[in-house]
Amino acid sequence: MEKLGGLFNPSSPEMEAMADLTYYIIAISIGILAIIVVAVTYIIIRYRKSSNDSSEPYQNFGDTRLEIVWTVIPIAIVAVLFQLTCSTMKAVDPPIGDHEPDIVVIGHQWWWEFYYPKSGVLTANELHMPVDKKLLLRIESIDVIHDFWVPELGRKIDAIPGHTNHIWIGAGEPGIFLGACAEFCGTQHANMRIRVIAETEEEFNEWQQQQLVVPRTPRSGIAGKGAELFRTKACMNCHTIAGTPAAARIGPNLTHLNKRQTIGAGVLTNSPENLTKWLVNPQKYKQGALMPNMKLTDSEVNAIVAYLEALK
Amino acid sequence: MSSKIPLVPENITPLPALKENEGMLSWVSSVDHKQIGIMYLISTLVFFLIGGLEALVIRMQLAKPEFDFISPEVYNQMFTMHGTTMIFFVVMPFLIGLGVYLVPLMIGARDMAFPRLNALSFWLVVFGGILLYYSFLTQSGPSEVGWFAYSPLSEKPFSLNKGPTYWALGLLATGISSVASGLNNIVTILTMRTKGMTMRRLPLFVWMILVTSFLLIFVIPIIASAFAMMLLDRLLEATFFTPAHGGSAILWQHFFWGFGHPEVYILVLPAFGIISEVIPVFSRKPIYGYEFVAGSTVAIGLLSLGVWAHHMFAVGLGNVANLYFSLASMLIAIPTGIKVLNWVATMWGGKIWFATPMLFATAFIIEFVIGGLTGVAIASVPIDWVTTDTYFIVAHFHYVLFGGSLFAIFAGVYYWFPKFTGRMMSETLGKWHFWLTIVGFNMTFFIQHFLGVMGMPRRTYTYHDFPYWGSMNLLSTIGAFVLAISVIIFAWNIRRSLKHGEKAPDNPWNAWTLEWYTTSPPAVHNFDLVPPVRGRRPLWDLAHPDQPDEPNAKVVV
Amino acid sequence: MANNKMLVGFFVASESIFFVMLILAYVNFHGTVTDGPTAVNSLNPVRTGIFSLFLLASSFSMWLAGRSLVTKNHFMMKIWILVTIILGVTFIYGQASEWFGLIDQNITISRNVFGTTFFTLTGFHGFHVCVGLLMLSILLALAMFGDFKGPKSDGVECISIYWHFVDGVWIVVYSVIYLWAFL
Repeated sequence: MEKLGGLFNPSSPEMEAMADLTYYIIAISIGILAIIVVAVTYIIIRYRKSSNDSSEPYQNFGDTRLEIVWTVIPIAIVAVLFQLTCSTMKAVDPPIGDHEPDIVVIGHQWWWEFYYPKSGVLTANELHMPVDKKLLLRIESIDVIHDFWVPELGRKIDAIPGHTNHIWIGAGEPGIFLGACAEFCGTQHANMRIRVIAETEEEFNEWQQQQLVVPRTPRSGIAGKGAELFRTKACMNCHTIAGTPAAARIGPNLTHLNKRQTIGAGVLTNSPENLTKWLVNPQKYKQGALMPNMKLTDSEVNAIVAYLEALK
Repeated sequence: MSSKIPLVPENITPLPALKENEGMLSWVSSVDHKQIGIMYLISTLVFFLIGGLEALVIRMQLAKPEFDFISPEVYNQMFTMHGTTMIFFVVMPFLIGLGVYLVPLMIGARDMAFPRLNALSFWLVVFGGILLYYSFLTQSGPSEVGWFAYSPLSEKPFSLNKGPTYWALGLLATGISSVASGLNNIVTILTMRTKGMTMRRLPLFVWMILVTSFLLIFVIPIIASAFAMMLLDRLLEATFFTPAHGGSAILWQHFFWGFGHPEVYILVLPAFGIISEVIPVFSRKPIYGYEFVAGSTVAIGLLSLGVWAHHMFAVGLGNVANLYFSLASMLIAIPTGIKVLNWVATMWGGKIWFATPMLFATAFIIEFVIGGLTGVAIASVPIDWVTTDTYFIVAHFHYVLFGGSLFAIFAGVYYWFPKFTGRMMSETLGKWHFWLTIVGFNMTFFIQHFLGVMGMPRRTYTYHDFPYWGSMNLLSTIGAFVLAISVIIFAWNIRRSLKHGEKAPDNPWNAWTLEWYTTSPPAVHNFDLVPPVRGRRPLWDLAHPDQPDEPNAKVVV
Repeated sequence: MANNKMLVGFFVASESIFFVMLILAYVNFHGTVTDGPTAVNSLNPVRTGIFSLFLLASSFSMWLAGRSLVTKNHFMMKIWILVTIILGVTFIYGQASEWFGLIDQNITISRNVFGTTFFTLTGFHGFHVCVGLLMLSILLALAMFGDFKGPKSDGVECISIYWHFVDGVWIVVYSVIYLWAFL
């Protein structure tokens, strides 16, 4: 049996608290449902009319005391549920106080921008974090409402233009945790995936250092040609590559694209072949995406792929 | 007066006769509540089939991971139109139309208070539906922003096509229709009851229609104002919901859900009314706890106005607001639960005949309780944080709207079809319809609870090949096609019974409310004479003069 | 006989909610504009207040029309309905000239959230006034053909209820937009 994700694999104390609450409430619900199902089943068997009986049964109009009993009991159950709700909420969503955000998350149609204010790292779609630490995320959007959701690591929260939100996330063990946008945001809402890589503190710092490296721009060979095309073919109107004049944030930062596991916010696994396919026609893999078909020739595509792969 | 009152039809309320009309023009120009009621029901059947096709397209696309049966744009249009159609052009007009037909009969009146307003309400629904579906014929196609049309996605520059504009205009038309129906119902029920029918003797279906009508007249203006603002934004560049110009995306959500939450009670209360009529008749007992069923309805109506932001727990309104809305939403489960217990208590000790209406009414209890319990779960904020915008929610609302409202609608159709048409529906086809529905419905939606909790977001045209997601979705799709077959059988049953159904007597189910006193179908003027009303079940009192419901009732002259 | 007054009463209750929502939108955005036109720097509460008095007076004249109906004074009833219409038209004139004045200064519905909420709220109110004026004109025309001799008339009484409603809404709208800004 393969591993089930989501609530079946909580990886932080907060998610475990939410999973526990869910199991309590499901248990209570199953209990209540069982009472109703047993009662209805008994009724179907015991009180079914036999075909030759046309007399009317006892006409029972009701019993006020019973009504009171079965009003008070649900009120008590609700009180218990509400108390559990309050305590779980406190555990999952403690106040922010004056804690500065560890990561700023900005939702775009249809990709995620991640900025680490403490180190200055700017990346997209793939979020690295150290394990066993509760991180504060500030969640924003520059266009429509999105929702940041990594089910195994934390609650979900909307990314709303004009409004800032915060959540805490944490990973209990290293690994890859997958998430998604959870608020309908247009054509490619389904392909706005989040990939969280939780790693040890050392690995995380190493990653940050490496992300901050400004790569040398290749000047010769096919990669050099690709660098030139990147400038002239309007790529820099949307994308950032550190060390070049390209600094736009309409599309993801491509400086260290070659280190990411996927492209297109999860649509394709990252490899030179897939990057080639994407550049030939991104609309084929993510119809409606804001990156148009740039109508590049095959040799232009190869050059740009070589350039992006060469950035170290 | 003494307690032994002879109960025979008295010449209390003589009613004038009417000229009968024939032909298409008589239908199109009719202001008779029965003809208008039937037109409502026929048009909802048409929209139900269309909405169902949209659902099948959705499920086909989701049958396999990364499937490309349809494009993402078309998928988004499908789920937008499916939700909009089912809510505004199927469930609402069915329940309102059923009320239009039944309320005057149940209260012993000849028509509604405002027959022409009644006709206007119906034709506005048709007009609204045409406006909405006209968008399919435009170049950019229908709206693709969901039935909830969150801003700023629904605004310029993110939604430049005309779809949402047609959507808002079509819904404004039906909104006006619903307000008019609500007003008409309120005046009719408050002023046109026959002598002896006090408010405490009102059939429960009429009580539910009354509370629903109050909800309609007070919450439709909320969404109408939101549509007006959205249209001003889209057409005149106003700035209500565009954050880039100082507007507020969250304001739309408050307005939308301020309407949207009471709306779901509008969709379910008349369904509760149908169940409250069917269960007693087929159990051969009066409804258990009438006052509590009626009173809890009023409580639900009032509470429903104060819980809207439980649809917004992930917006970040702050935990004080979240906790208030959480508590209020849990509390609203209590009057609902009381109703369920009263229905079960009605069946207890009865002599139950499981004809098709009763099959659906009994199944309603189980399916609705499942949906209601998941509803209480998601009223708890942290559980909502996990499940909102996932298939868990899709499962929840289909359990209450399909397993709830639609099952009640099916029960109502089988129950009142003989009265409306003078013919019985086929019990055999009815049982096939029922069992295929049970299998298909639960197969489609039960598994979606798990998909949601495992991490599948909703409103997504495709999904990645995570463990078991593909097989679970495929199961759900197969269930949808089983449902399609059940609907075909249902439609076939209707068509066949209209032509060849066994002729129906006045009161085939031996029921007790006033509509069963007249012929099947009723004469144009409804009643020659209205029987005296000295209790909640006038026909029971007539048949059992030695055992009336209210032995101490006074004669009302 | 159908209960027309009950219908209009509930209808007015329903429309009130519609106006409450527009007012809530106005209130929500009030004070959020930091630069650009706002109520304080664009509106003239005195001028609008004077035109508001015409609308209030029209409620009074409509009430007098109702009294004439009860006393079966058909001639005076027609006069009072006519006075109501004239006063209502004057109010609309005041609104229209205010609107044109603002639009001339490029204060429009699309300018900012003040423009949006101001024009929407006053616009829907003005629309309701115009519908009322239309109904009053039909009433007057039918009265001139001899209808509504009194002492009772659902038509006159119902339209009167609607007209008072429209006036009442304006009192709230004026307070929220003009008085609140300047307090």
